[in-house]
Amino acid sequence: MDADLLSIQPSAAEPIYRQIAAQLRRLITSARLQPGEELPSVREVAAHHAINPMTVSRAYGQLESEGLLERRRGKGMVVAESRRRPLSDARRLEQLDTRLAELAREAGELDLPAALVLERLRALLEK
Amino acid sequence: MNAVIAARDPALPVQCENLSKRYDTRTVLQDLSLAIPAGAVLGLIGRNGAGKSTLIRMLLGLQLPDAGVAHVFGEPSLRLSDAVKRRLGYVPQQPDALAWMRVGDMLDFVGRMYPKWDVAFVQRALQRWQLAPAQPLAKLSPGERQRVALIRALAVTPDLLVLDEPAAALDPVARRELLREIALRAGESGTTVLFSTNIVSDLERVASHVAFLHDSRLVLNTPLDELRDRYARLVIAVASVARIPQRLPGELSRRRRPDGSCAIVVARAPHEPWPALGGDTRLDLLGLEDLFIEVTE
Repeated sequence: MDADLLSIQPSAAEPIYRQIAAQLRRLITSARLQPGEELPSVREVAAHHAINPMTVSRAYGQLESEGLLERRRGKGMVVAESRRRPLSDARRLEQLDTRLAELAREAGELDLPAALVLERLRALLEK
Repeated sequence: MNAVIAARDPALPVQCENLSKRYDTRTVLQDLSLAIPAGAVLGLIGRNGAGKSTLIRMLLGLQLPDAGVAHVFGEPSLRLSDAVKRRLGYVPQQPDALAWMRVGDMLDFVGRMYPKWDVAFVQRALQRWQLAPAQPLAKLSPGERQRVALIRALAVTPDLLVLDEPAAALDPVARRELLREIALRAGESGTTVLFSTNIVSDLERVASHVAFLHDSRLVLNTPLDELRDRYARLVIAVASVARIPQRLPGELSRRRRPDGSCAIVVARAPHEPWPALGGDTRLDLLGLEDLFIEVTE
């Protein structure tokens, strides 16, 4: 995997480590990153994006504790080979949380009834 | 007031207690205390003239405070030993020391005073940043001079790197390179970095901590990650202004806008929801730049 596969927005409200973690999670759960695939080193990512390496470490550490990444001796971080349990619906749904909350808030500002928004969302999902 | 200058923790790269400074009748710094942990990258933001350079100079013992003390690696800043000075890399805002020398000669000269001088780094950096060693420093542009000053500070392989508005004269490419250098050193060698800047996005990339200097005080001093996603501006429409409480939980500032609406900056504890005011209220998450503007306006 190349460090430039990640896109960093330093000025977004979301902390950089969470941006990285979220992107990696999506890449892994969508199988764009294969089990066993090596991730770029913390140093590489930090240097490429000119960000604090602790930020990268934190993102990697988070995914490691979620079982999505594994530390391999001599290789650094790799995508976990075996996940004992596939990620549940609830866990995958969590990844949409931020944007769902944002959507709900905007709908509130526009004074739209929930039923109408849900109907539209369902239509988009079922396409 | 601290009359006794006691020894401080040598593991703490830089700290100060109750620093105060006045220029004539103007109070620049008031009762300022700060401690920067090892390995931290602290970004200091403040409006122009807020006293960032003054604070930095007093932390390093380059300027006398009216009150308070500062320490570097446990030693009083006003009486730093050579051993501690050699662990420091400092780039002032307008570097002009040894300006009569040529680039290469200056770096050679300075390099001889530092046991950990990285000659290979100097050569690589001069090349990468296209600086001719034979050029007299006085003939360089401000941006080039700043780059030479940066090379000089970085080549020391300092344990504490202090930069006063290092990116002010640099173009975006050079700025990005500088951030890269800071990021790598902080990560790999655990270098502690203090830099003052008004380029907020730079800070958001590499800083681990951020401090706001405003009205002679440190208004904010927190780890950067704690700050994000914690501050928002609630905008209450004119019609609803009357019914909002006098003070909201976590409220930092409140002001009436020209159109009569009310803008309140609130901080929430992690994992807590935002205060729910209902009705005609808009919520804007505040990034660092917006937060700074709101708090210091």
